[in-house]
Amino acid sequence: MNKKKLWISLGGWFEERLGFQAVVDFLRKKKVPQNKHTIWTYTGSAVLLFFVIQVVTGIMLAFYYKPTLEEANKSVARIMTEIPLGWVIRSIHFWSSSFMIAVVFVHLLSIWVIKSYRKPRELTWMTGVFLLILTLAFGFTGYLLPWDDLSLSATKVGTDIPRSIPIIGVWLTKFLRGGEDVTGDTLTRFFSFHVCLLPLGLLFIIGIHVYLIQKLGMSLPLGADVEKERAKELPFWPNFVYREMIVWLIFLGILVSVAVFFPPSLGKVADLMAPAPEGIKPEWYFLFLFQTLKIFPAKILFMSGDTLAVFLILVEGILFFFLPLFDNKPAELKGRVITALAYLFIIYAVVMTVWSLIQ
Amino acid sequence: MKLQHSLFTRRQFLNSLFGGWVAALAATFLYPIVKFIFPPYREPDKVILPFSEFKDMEARAIKSFAWGAKPGYVKKKADGRYTAFVAICTHLDCTVAYLADQKKFYCACHDGWYDEEGRNLSGPPPRPLRQLQVNVEGENLIIKKEGVS
Repeated sequence: MNKKKLWISLGGWFEERLGFQAVVDFLRKKKVPQNKHTIWTYTGSAVLLFFVIQVVTGIMLAFYYKPTLEEANKSVARIMTEIPLGWVIRSIHFWSSSFMIAVVFVHLLSIWVIKSYRKPRELTWMTGVFLLILTLAFGFTGYLLPWDDLSLSATKVGTDIPRSIPIIGVWLTKFLRGGEDVTGDTLTRFFSFHVCLLPLGLLFIIGIHVYLIQKLGMSLPLGADVEKERAKELPFWPNFVYREMIVWLIFLGILVSVAVFFPPSLGKVADLMAPAPEGIKPEWYFLFLFQTLKIFPAKILFMSGDTLAVFLILVEGILFFFLPLFDNKPAELKGRVITALAYLFIIYAVVMTVWSLIQ
Repeated sequence: MKLQHSLFTRRQFLNSLFGGWVAALAATFLYPIVKFIFPPYREPDKVILPFSEFKDMEARAIKSFAWGAKPGYVKKKADGRYTAFVAICTHLDCTVAYLADQKKFYCACHDGWYDEEGRNLSGPPPRPLRQLQVNVEGENLIIKKEGVS
């Protein structure tokens, strides 16, 4: 038997058992609409790119990182100074997380503005909101792991915020911290969240999210002529995938350049007894929330400022989750107001972030 | 099948029996998980420190100590008596610093200020710093929770 025949019969053997031909056929036939909104469809695959980079660099960092009070900061210092190319790997992990969150925000806001979430794609949006929460949770838990003074204070504040939520708040804070206070138990717990729980959750929900996108296809612009759009469609393979690869290469180039020239620093080891250092700030993606909490006064009417702020943020989060259900008349005034809210949110977040940065 | 005068069918009865069994089984798995993820918490009733370390403090100066897992400050008042605070900001749990030149406690996280008695002055803190009782007994400085004899 010659080589080619052997491969074909081997392929046939597996196909008989796995039946993957259906998936291959689907991808071969899959088409992507080409219109003024197509550029935003690249943001989804860019998020996936950064996620894959996070998984690979994260596994590598876990080879050397030790999540204990004594060793956490030291082991990160060792990665940065002793391990060959350790500083680049940590830098890429650090920057890729920021890039991932930035692209997640762009992805989400673009979908809000072009209203891709309208019927029947409501569940795609809702799973997307879960992915946003998980991505932010990755950022929050990862921030503590180097165990330096800034990350300790940021974690104290971040884990204390849920305390204001009625009924489950105190319980939630204890659950996050592994006790009353931020201690070594918090560190190991955050490590477990960061490398076990969150990746499993994210993979599971990405699975649903991507499945829904395949099942429902890309949305078309509001009021588009379906027939005309169909004529303009681009084959997913290879035309669209090649275009995606160009986007990936550009992002990868920017990421590696930034990572090489601006590696993250490592603060001095966290001291549980030391006062909070000056100028503590969370990562940039939490700054607008941080600034919001800061401008709330201690007391508003009968409740504490924090409770009110947390309550408002929670309500907004819930409304945000159900956005596609509210935005059920996208072409009418209500739809336009909801689009305007997206721009308003962008302005608010940018103003708050800049305000926090210049303080 | 439904017996005469019965409120539910045999199927309903068996289904709820089965459902109850599944719920009980789930609970037996969940209970240890929930118990496990919350470590026991012990706030100390009192902390005993050697008085010699605090004897020579200047009036209105502070010195830090460990109140269990939390940081604390012992302060010598102007009249020579001692008081102590849990050095945790009542806003969002950051550790406060004592600024000796201004005689104020300061939280760098969200710009919270307390006077030297621990009363919240400005910024977001909603309550004064938590105060602890201090007694000098022989060679020991004993710091207790308020209200513990």
